Amino acid sequence: MYLKELTELDGVSGNEQQVREFISDKIKDKVDELKVDVLGNLIAYRKGTKGGRKIVLAAHMDEVGFMVTNIEDDGTLAFAPVGGVETQVMVGKIVRINGQTLGAIGYKAIHIQDKEQILKPLSIDQLRVYIGAKSKEEAARQVKIGDYVAFTTTFDQENNRLTGKAFDDRAGCSVLMDIIDKIDRYEDDVYFAFLVQEEVGLRGSAVVVEQIHPDIAIVIEGTTAGDDPELPEYQWATHLGDGPAITFMHRGYVVNKRVYESIIEVAEKYSIAHQAKRRTAGGTDAARFARTGAGTAAAVVSVPSRYIHSPVSMIDLNDYNNTVLLLQKILEQGEAFAR
Amino acid sequence: MDVKELIKELSSLDGPSGYEKAVLELIEKKIEPLVDRVWYNKVGTLIAEKKGTGSGRLGIFAHADEVGYVVTKLEKGLFARLETIGGVDPKVIFAQRVKIYTAKGIAKGIVGVLPPHLQKEEHRSKVPSFDKIFVDLSCSELGEYVSVGDICVVDVKPVELNGKLCGKAMDNRAGCASLILAAQLLRNIRNYQDVYFVFSSQEEVTGLGAVSIAYELRLDRAIVVDVTHGDVKIPQFVQIKTGEGPALCVGPVIDKEFYSKLYQTAQRNNVKIQIEPAPGRSGTDTDEVQLSGTGVRTTLVSIPLMYMHTPVEVVDPRDVEETARLLALATTIE
Repeated sequence: MYLKELTELDGVSGNEQQVREFISDKIKDKVDELKVDVLGNLIAYRKGTKGGRKIVLAAHMDEVGFMVTNIEDDGTLAFAPVGGVETQVMVGKIVRINGQTLGAIGYKAIHIQDKEQILKPLSIDQLRVYIGAKSKEEAARQVKIGDYVAFTTTFDQENNRLTGKAFDDRAGCSVLMDIIDKIDRYEDDVYFAFLVQEEVGLRGSAVVVEQIHPDIAIVIEGTTAGDDPELPEYQWATHLGDGPAITFMHRGYVVNKRVYESIIEVAEKYSIAHQAKRRTAGGTDAARFARTGAGTAAAVVSVPSRYIHSPVSMIDLNDYNNTVLLLQKILEQGEAFAR
Repeated sequence: MDVKELIKELSSLDGPSGYEKAVLELIEKKIEPLVDRVWYNKVGTLIAEKKGTGSGRLGIFAHADEVGYVVTKLEKGLFARLETIGGVDPKVIFAQRVKIYTAKGIAKGIVGVLPPHLQKEEHRSKVPSFDKIFVDLSCSELGEYVSVGDICVVDVKPVELNGKLCGKAMDNRAGCASLILAAQLLRNIRNYQDVYFVFSSQEEVTGLGAVSIAYELRLDRAIVVDVTHGDVKIPQFVQIKTGEGPALCVGPVIDKEFYSKLYQTAQRNNVKIQIEPAPGRSGTDTDEVQLSGTGVRTTLVSIPLMYMHTPVEVVDPRDVEETARLLALATTIE
C-alpha cells in the first residue's frame, strides 16, 4: 500500500507531476511497457498469456485544490477552486502553494463579525491565502498567478481506518500499484492507466481509448460515503466497512450490465464483501471511456470514503484490501470474465 | 530563549479554559529560574514574583487558556457532538483533525463534513450550528473511551509564514511568551516595583483567574497583556498592524496616569507602539481587574494578531519581543 506517500504529494488537476513521478519510479521495473501520453497520463502495460483481450484498470492521479488567481496589494492571494471544493472546508487550513510556500486561509474573528455574517456561509471572494507577505511585491517574490494550491494534511492510520487528503483518488492509484506488485501475468493484456484531470471534467481519460482500444475498462475510485449522523440512513451512498462499492449508474452513464454483473459474480464467488453504490450523483472516468471513440464497456469499483473533497477524508482498511482482492480475482478469471 | 521556539512550544500545548495545567507547567519551568518564587492560587492561576528595589506592587497579566470544545453527546457508530469553550465560529471547524482528552489518553477525531456531491441547497444556504456538527472517532483506538465532558482541541501544529507564526492559541500564548521574555530581561533591568507575573486561567469564559489574583495581591497597578485584531478593517476604528509593535489601549478601563507613564517610557526607549481606542469594555481581563478590591490602576497592552479564535491565528514574533521590552521597562516606573 502506497497511500501515505501518495496522499502526502500535491497533485491538483493539471499539476500531477509529483504523483506521476512517484508512481512511475515505483512501477517502472515491474511492467512490460510504460509511457506518458500527450496529456500527462501514465500508462503501464503488462502483456497477457493469451493476449486475446485488453483490459484497462484506471485511477486518477489528480485531487481537488486551488489556483492562485490574483496577488492583492496587501500581499494576500486570491484563489479559485480547481474541481469541486466547498467553501466551508477552506477556512482555518494551512495550504501549500507551488509545492513549497506555506500559507493560511483564515477569516476575520468572530468578535468582529455581525450576527448576520456569523450565520451566513462564506463565499470564496471573502477568503484569501496569507503567506506572511505584507505587499504585492513581497508576495510576488515567492508565488505567481496560476500557481497551484494544495491542502497539507498528513496521513494517519489507526483503528483500521486511514485518514488523510486526496483519497479521491490516490486510493485508486494505490490499489493499482498493489496489483502491479503482484507479479502475476493474467490471460488478458492489462493496461494500468494513471490519469490526469479527472476532477475538472474527466479530461485525461478522453485520450486513453484511442491509444489502447480496450475491450473492458474498470475505473477504481475513492467515492462518497455519507454514512454519518447528519444524514438519514436512506441517504447514505456507501457505508465504510461493507466492502468495495460497485456502481450500477452515475451521472452520464449507466454501467455496462455485463461487466457490472460479472464483477458482482466474482465478489460472490470468492465471498468478498461488497456493496452497491446507492446514489447516482457524481461521475467518473467510466463515463468518458464509454463515450469515447467506438466506446468501451466500462465499470466502476470504489473504496468508500468519508469527507472527500475536503482536507481530510477517511477510508476503512478492510474496504481497501477487499478492493485490491476483488480486482485481482477479476483479473484471475481471465477470458471467462464478462463473457 | 529563542522567541519563535518559545511561542511555537506554547502554541503546541493544549489548555482550554479550566484545563490550563500543561501550559502552566511549561511556563513554570521556564520562569522559575528567573524570579524569586512561584505558586498557584485556588483557581489554577500561576504567579511568579520578583521583588523590586523600591516600592509598589505591579501585576503583569497574561491568560494561559485558549478557546476549545467539550464533548456533550455521543452518537451510535463512534461519533461525538461538541459545544464550545469560549467563542468559536463554527465556520472554522469543518474537516479539522481534533484531539480529545479521555481518561485513557488522547483520542483522535475528524470534524465531519458532507461532500459536495451529497450537499443540498439547505446545506449550502446556512452555517450549521454546533448541534449539526459532529466528530468522527472511528479513526482512533481510544474512540470508544470518549465520554461526555471530555475536552477537545483542534490538532494543529504551528508553522512559520515568512517570519510570522501561525497556529492555534496564539491568543494568548503570544502574551504568555512576552511575560517570560520580560522576566528574562529583568536580569539586566532592575525592577523598582515588586513584580507579579500572572498567568491566569479561564479568561475565555469569565476571567475569574485574573480577578482572584488581583484581589489576593492587593495590586497598585496592573498591565494586562492580551491580543488584538491586526491587519483587518473594523469600521470606524484605526487599523492595528502586525509587525508594528504592541497596541496600547486607551479608554475608560485604562488608568490615565499609568497609561501616560507607560507611553512616555515607550517613547523614551524607542519601543514601537500603536494606540488602540476601547470606548467601553476591552473584552480582556483588564475590565474586571480594574474593579478588584478598592480598584487597581490598569493598562492594556495588546499584541496584534490575525484570524483570532481560528486554528490559523497569526502573530509576528517581533511584536512579542517588543512587548517584552515594554513590560520590562514598565517595572522601572516609580
